[in-house]
Amino acid sequence: MKLYFTAAVVSLLGLADAIYLTVEHVTGQSVRCTIVAGCSEVLSSQYAVMAGVPLALIGAAAYFGVFSLSTLAAFGYRIAGTLLTVLVVLMFLFSLWLIYLQAFVIHAFCQFCLLSAAITTALTVIVLIRVILARKPG
Amino acid sequence: MKRILPFIIILAVLGVALGSAWYMTRSASPPAVPATPTASAQTNNQPAQLPPAVAGVPGADPPYTLGSPNAPARLEEFGDYQCPPCGMFHPILQQMHKEFGDKLQITFREFPLTPTHQHALEAASAAEAAGLQGKFWQLHDVLYEHQKDWSDKFDVRPIFEGYAKDLGLDMERYKRDVESEQVAQRIFLDGKRGHSMGVKGTPTVFLNDREVPFASLPADSLRVLIQQQINNAGNR
Repeated sequence: MKLYFTAAVVSLLGLADAIYLTVEHVTGQSVRCTIVAGCSEVLSSQYAVMAGVPLALIGAAAYFGVFSLSTLAAFGYRIAGTLLTVLVVLMFLFSLWLIYLQAFVIHAFCQFCLLSAAITTALTVIVLIRVILARKPG
Repeated sequence: MKRILPFIIILAVLGVALGSAWYMTRSASPPAVPATPTASAQTNNQPAQLPPAVAGVPGADPPYTLGSPNAPARLEEFGDYQCPPCGMFHPILQQMHKEFGDKLQITFREFPLTPTHQHALEAASAAEAAGLQGKFWQLHDVLYEHQKDWSDKFDVRPIFEGYAKDLGLDMERYKRDVESEQVAQRIFLDGKRGHSMGVKGTPTVFLNDREVPFASLPADSLRVLIQQQINNAGNR
């Protein structure tokens, strides 16, 4: 149960990060080059949008999903735990794809995108520990 | 109670998330339509309200301008040749120049974002050096149009010299001017003006000394704002 609570707390960080990126995207802030933060080649690239929807918004929805499922799982809803594992693994694979895009296609990284990848990795570790513990007899 | 508690928590988080997103969107620049200057498909017919005019210290004198000095709409751009959004904004500005002609005066100010953009200062120096031979706008255009060709190169000097040569510049003089105090001083003064007007990134655009929100830089929104300034001047 504690692992689910941890996952819920970690997903809140991801949610905050994704909301920040969504707002930056929608208000156009992310497209300007600034003295402090430099240029956001990543957020202004074509990969920042999927079928007209900002990727950051999809990320925010995914993190909200993780938060909801882990909260439900923490309160004993078993099916939520299974769904959580599936969702987090999908998010992890998607994050790997995004890192690949940043490294080899766009040739630029965006800090908050990397933070999101780190958070998703942490969530993956948490759900995997949970799966391993659940398999242990006794 | 325990059964509905997780749902209450989830709804509370959803509320906080939506509320903070709404608050952050509101406190950022005015709600904008397209996220990139090139995405002009959507139009916001409600032109953004421009903030009050700001007075800055003078920049390089004389500045490089297009259009008439007596134009009712004066647009001043602070730009960096290596900044991708500035590159996207460049054709928009050319379009505005074509559409409004003498009713719009366009001024370009150097605002190289060093060290983020390693070649920005060199590019600004190249444009300014060309300016000393009366070819500022020509090299300005070439630098933006070929931005992708030189941005990630290690040594841009031969590339810029190639552009200068193609424009028929006196190369002896160009090479001297690129490194001259005069060129460095012009770039410094433009930067100083930018800082005094609160410029923090590029492109930053002022219309009659009032900052145009980044979200209003797509052609459709910018056109409305420029027309508004021209109409205002006509009513006075």
